[in-house]
Amino acid sequence: MSARFRIVPATPSRRDFLFGNAMGLGGIALSSLLSADTALAQTHEPGKPHLPAKAKHCIFLLMEGGPSHMDTFDPKPKLGALHMTKFEKARNKFEANMNTGERYYVRSPFEFRRAGKLGIEVNTLLDRFSGVVDDVCFYRGLKAESVNHPTALYHLNCGNQFGGDPATGAWVAYGLGTENRNLPAFVVLPDLAYPQGGAANWGNGFLPAQYQGTPLRPQGSPILDMNPPPGVTPERQSANLKYLQTLNRRHRELHPAHDELAARIESYELAFRMQAEMPAVLDLTREPAATLEMYGIGGADREADAIGRRCLLARRLVEAGVRFVQVIVMGWDSHDYIDKAHGSRLRAIDKPVAGLLADLKRTGLLDETLVVWAGEFGRSPDNGIRRGSTAWGRDHNANAMTVWLAGGGAPRGAIVGATDETGAAAVEVVHPLRDFHVTLLRLLGLDDNRLRYFHAGREKQLSQVGGEAIGQLIA
Amino acid sequence: MKGFLVGFAALYTGSLTAQTPAERTFSGIVGPALRKQCLGCHGEGQILAKLDLRTREAALRGGSRGPAIVPGKAGESLLIQAIEGKTAFAMPPGGESKRLSAEEIAAFRAWIDGGAPWAESRAESPAWTYSEADVWALRPLRATRSADGATSIDAFVDAKLRERGLSPAPPADRPTLLRRAAFDLTGLPPAPEEIDAFVADRSPSAWEKAVERLLASPRYGERWGRHWLDVVRYADSSGYSNDFERPNAWRYRDYVIRSFNADKPYDRFIREQIAGDELDPSNADAVIATGFLRAGPWEHTAMSVEAVTRQMWLDDATSAVGAAFLGLTVGCARCHDHKFDPIPTKDYYRLQAVFASTEFARPKIPFLAAENVVASAGERKRWQDSIDRTQARLAEFRQTVRVRLAKRRGLASPESIPEAEMQAAMQDTKELEPEEFEEYKLHQKHLQVYRESLTRFDPLAFAVSSGPLDGATDGGPTLKYPKAADYKPAEVRILAGGNLQAPGESVAPGVLSAVTRYSELPAAAIPASVAGRRSALADWIADSRNPLTARVMVNRIWQYHFGAGLTPDPNNLGKTGGKPSHPELLDWLASEFIAGGWSVKSVHRKILLSNAYRRSSSHPEYRKVRDADPSNSLLAYFPPRRAEAEVLRDSVLFVAGELSGESGGPGGYPQINEDVANQPRHAMGSLQPAYRPSPEKRIRNRRAIYAFQQRGLIDPFLDVFNGPNPDFSCARRESSTVATQAFSLMNSEFMHDMAIAFAARVSKESATPAARVRRLFRLAYGRGPTPEEAAGALAHWESMVLWHRQNPPPPKPEPKPVIHTITSELTGERFQFKQWDPPQDYEANLKARDVAPETRALADVALALLNSNEFVYVY
Repeated sequence: MSARFRIVPATPSRRDFLFGNAMGLGGIALSSLLSADTALAQTHEPGKPHLPAKAKHCIFLLMEGGPSHMDTFDPKPKLGALHMTKFEKARNKFEANMNTGERYYVRSPFEFRRAGKLGIEVNTLLDRFSGVVDDVCFYRGLKAESVNHPTALYHLNCGNQFGGDPATGAWVAYGLGTENRNLPAFVVLPDLAYPQGGAANWGNGFLPAQYQGTPLRPQGSPILDMNPPPGVTPERQSANLKYLQTLNRRHRELHPAHDELAARIESYELAFRMQAEMPAVLDLTREPAATLEMYGIGGADREADAIGRRCLLARRLVEAGVRFVQVIVMGWDSHDYIDKAHGSRLRAIDKPVAGLLADLKRTGLLDETLVVWAGEFGRSPDNGIRRGSTAWGRDHNANAMTVWLAGGGAPRGAIVGATDETGAAAVEVVHPLRDFHVTLLRLLGLDDNRLRYFHAGREKQLSQVGGEAIGQLIA
Repeated sequence: MKGFLVGFAALYTGSLTAQTPAERTFSGIVGPALRKQCLGCHGEGQILAKLDLRTREAALRGGSRGPAIVPGKAGESLLIQAIEGKTAFAMPPGGESKRLSAEEIAAFRAWIDGGAPWAESRAESPAWTYSEADVWALRPLRATRSADGATSIDAFVDAKLRERGLSPAPPADRPTLLRRAAFDLTGLPPAPEEIDAFVADRSPSAWEKAVERLLASPRYGERWGRHWLDVVRYADSSGYSNDFERPNAWRYRDYVIRSFNADKPYDRFIREQIAGDELDPSNADAVIATGFLRAGPWEHTAMSVEAVTRQMWLDDATSAVGAAFLGLTVGCARCHDHKFDPIPTKDYYRLQAVFASTEFARPKIPFLAAENVVASAGERKRWQDSIDRTQARLAEFRQTVRVRLAKRRGLASPESIPEAEMQAAMQDTKELEPEEFEEYKLHQKHLQVYRESLTRFDPLAFAVSSGPLDGATDGGPTLKYPKAADYKPAEVRILAGGNLQAPGESVAPGVLSAVTRYSELPAAAIPASVAGRRSALADWIADSRNPLTARVMVNRIWQYHFGAGLTPDPNNLGKTGGKPSHPELLDWLASEFIAGGWSVKSVHRKILLSNAYRRSSSHPEYRKVRDADPSNSLLAYFPPRRAEAEVLRDSVLFVAGELSGESGGPGGYPQINEDVANQPRHAMGSLQPAYRPSPEKRIRNRRAIYAFQQRGLIDPFLDVFNGPNPDFSCARRESSTVATQAFSLMNSEFMHDMAIAFAARVSKESATPAARVRRLFRLAYGRGPTPEEAAGALAHWESMVLWHRQNPPPPKPEPKPVIHTITSELTGERFQFKQWDPPQDYEANLKARDVAPETRALADVALALLNSNEFVYVY
């Protein structure tokens, strides 16, 4: 953690401003606030990692829609030879309608270039990113289970296809605890539109509510109702809060046995400290111009600008002590015209993602920050006939995908696993998604088998049934 | 976990003699360890290294490395070498933490040396015995009396207190007591006049009369119906990708409210929800009730697999019945025998087979007099207007294409383009620019949504039937689900690991074998025919000899009154759900419930008339009580609790004088955070329409239970106060205190509007400043202010009047168009669309700009009161 960027706790004068000097609840109330939900004895003690690990934070770059591995980091020359050749896929009751019927192979419309000492072939549209591949560990052996967006997203984010379970970020926040008590431990930076399945993708599930992902919205108030409506000046807000706490203090004197009252009084303090601190964290204007350029902020590409802002914000949040930041980039579901659709995505993420890795490295944060890049599944080497015509696109594929890790104890510059010659299926170092979850937790010092929560009659965990850490992804 | 296995073995050895030691070792240690540690990769779903460990034969046959076990020779068995880590492939994988314990490895050795016998599923085996303490809920109800022979709630509760040397708190004062009961039974605070009347009534039956009045209030069903909707995971939409509306689901919600208000006998309530269509097909309520079975989250789209969708529903229905009525985590047995309770996987699929002949139906059921569709006439017009406008916009696009096609082909009349050609042209971007095409798709999606929504005003039921129902199985314009023909005859097989692609043994419909084994209720004879399966199940659950049914329900009722159940998890009366604090009381109350004709209101009466319920929430010796009974499970005092999300919202509206008394009918759209309302939300291939609050106050400000419950758009106000996640059965609300609650209560537009309305209301009702402050306190707290409080409120008011005189309120903001932004799947480009469906005739809330500085300043006092702990907690 570089002290330079550390957000300092609220000063006494700030507290005066909000509540006057008489508020003396402070730490005692906070401890009960943070343990408000522990009605049942739990096996894991929040904030106590299980294993030594380098990573203390995680930035998860979620590519919503399913990026194509064979058009990004796992090119398949064989598809050039098979291009537009047809084959019949039998109707199978375990296939979605989308994936059956008459189909044809599609070659990649993109060009590739070897990058770094690693020599991995990377789509030429990822120009800046090619410069940082030696810090990245590419993994081609991962398998998802669902080919349906919402269930696959739930599976990737929450470990369970059916939604409603705690998100990975919530588990990590529960596991590692919070570093900055004025900010949420798990922050989500969504695109303008929410992904399929909505806010359940960053829910706390059955974990206590303070582990829920807090979305910082790109439009409107970043946190809902963080700012009072127009016409409420700080002066008026402060007067009302002082009066409120007068009412609450007197009430508390009448109910000395009721601890929750103190916690609730403290929650107002915490809220208004957050209100005071958040604008500074969100303010990108003080970043040097060179940093903004690195992330593609202020450039001609509006999409790159928007993604760059989220990536830079992710770095700032990690600096401020947030444990888990999820950046969501929408729009990878390229069933038709993949050249255009994937092309625009790749151009838009190139600078922001390369900039993030370079910036983390520059500031020394990369060692303690695990960066993950993943979609909910990969794409198929073939496409179906839709609307009676052919288009160069790809359908969903749960049997193969490429994800990558960087920093935070992941190998620097590696290619792990492999897919078959058309990219249809992973064939080497093949692991199910639950093993990937176990690996992420492991890199953050958490043991999936010990990071449990008793709910609905049993001990639950991110991997659901336990899994195996993928050794090749741990340096 | 290891401790559990060892403890289990000890228990086992002590209780059984019928099996050989090796068989016992298998049942107690080896079998569970295989299921837990091995079958995930070797048998359930996947069979790695070709090794299947599900049966003895398969284990003897072995995998690619040879036989896994050699009976009688542990040392030569590959399985032992693997679990001892002596091979290159140490098992289970995952490092030290995943390895078997030394005790477990020793058990595996002993078992193989003993011939490796492979016993049956332990939960099913008649020889297997569960600890008596863990199957208490499966045993018949005991006719119980407390130690002193009396039979009343207080006799049981006081006996336990005496045992621990604790004395009960004194009775609560009357205003507090009435407020507690009003929140409990109606979810709203009592009006000041009701408190006055109760305080003034010195007759011995004053309390009884107050309870009866609250039980008779129509608000009672709205409060208790909400509890039930939590349990049955109710929502008005499907969840997942499209999150389409279930347009007639609201009729089930109203059915639930009606049933509670009418004190419908609980056994009938059960039968109707599980099998009303079979038992009483001509009764509208009975058919509507089956909406229970369809209330869970699932949808079927072109991207999903038909067989998977159907299985999702079957799993949901099976688990829901288990949790709601039987209070057991039946769903745990989907993949393996239940690890803690005697529920074998086979029982899970037997229960599931009951629903295998069930189809979805949408029969025509004329509206009942009680179903309030009339009040929604304005809403209906709103949907129709949306449809008309969307169609007009789509027609514009079609005309554009028509003209372009005609121009390109040199045709004089665009109208001469054949319809087939037009249809083809509208499917692609050949004629429309990509941006136009995206917008066209957006409006098409919205049209689909609006058309579906309009059918909520049609007299259709969201129901089920046994087999196809002529003309009624249509899912509506957009709701798709697997067609009946694919599933007949519906055979159910045990799915290894819950995996649809690993079907095993075929099972007949049936019920939980453990109930038969431990209680006096015989197994249900469930017919193999298409019809009648659900009726037989419902009869079995509603049988007075079923040991679970009454216990589960009285425990739920108790929990909603006292904040905690007599047994801690009302959805789980199994081993892991915890033990009852007052087992005799639970059984006595359950027996009384049955004897009283399954009347829920009779249970309320027993509870509310008890001293335990009427105690103060402050105990004179609270330190002593806390040391002896930290969780207050013995009820020495009445536990205070934070109002639930809906209660808080409804109460704010109520004291502000803004709560609409309009009950029933299709869901309305309350005022929610504007950013959330306008948040673009994905639907397959496009975006959902923006959320638009209902223009009419009488719809918008109805109680929260009547709000449209969209799975993908939970009201953030309810969410932040621990509203239920409708994807699961919610047995008990969490009550966490988080910072964002302060934002919602202190900063939201809704709260500021309500504070203004509250201030305006008391200004109208009272004349002098002192009277207004008094009225404010009386409405919010159910009591007048102390002199000190009155002085404090007046002082704050006066200082804020000065502020408001100097600071005029902001003017009315210009109406902002809602901008949808979407990234095209086709081109990856970002497009923006204006939401061109502006709110019309919106009946605005009273705003700061509409009232005098004095009222604005009084609203500041009101806002603080509504944020204060005394308002938010119920004592």
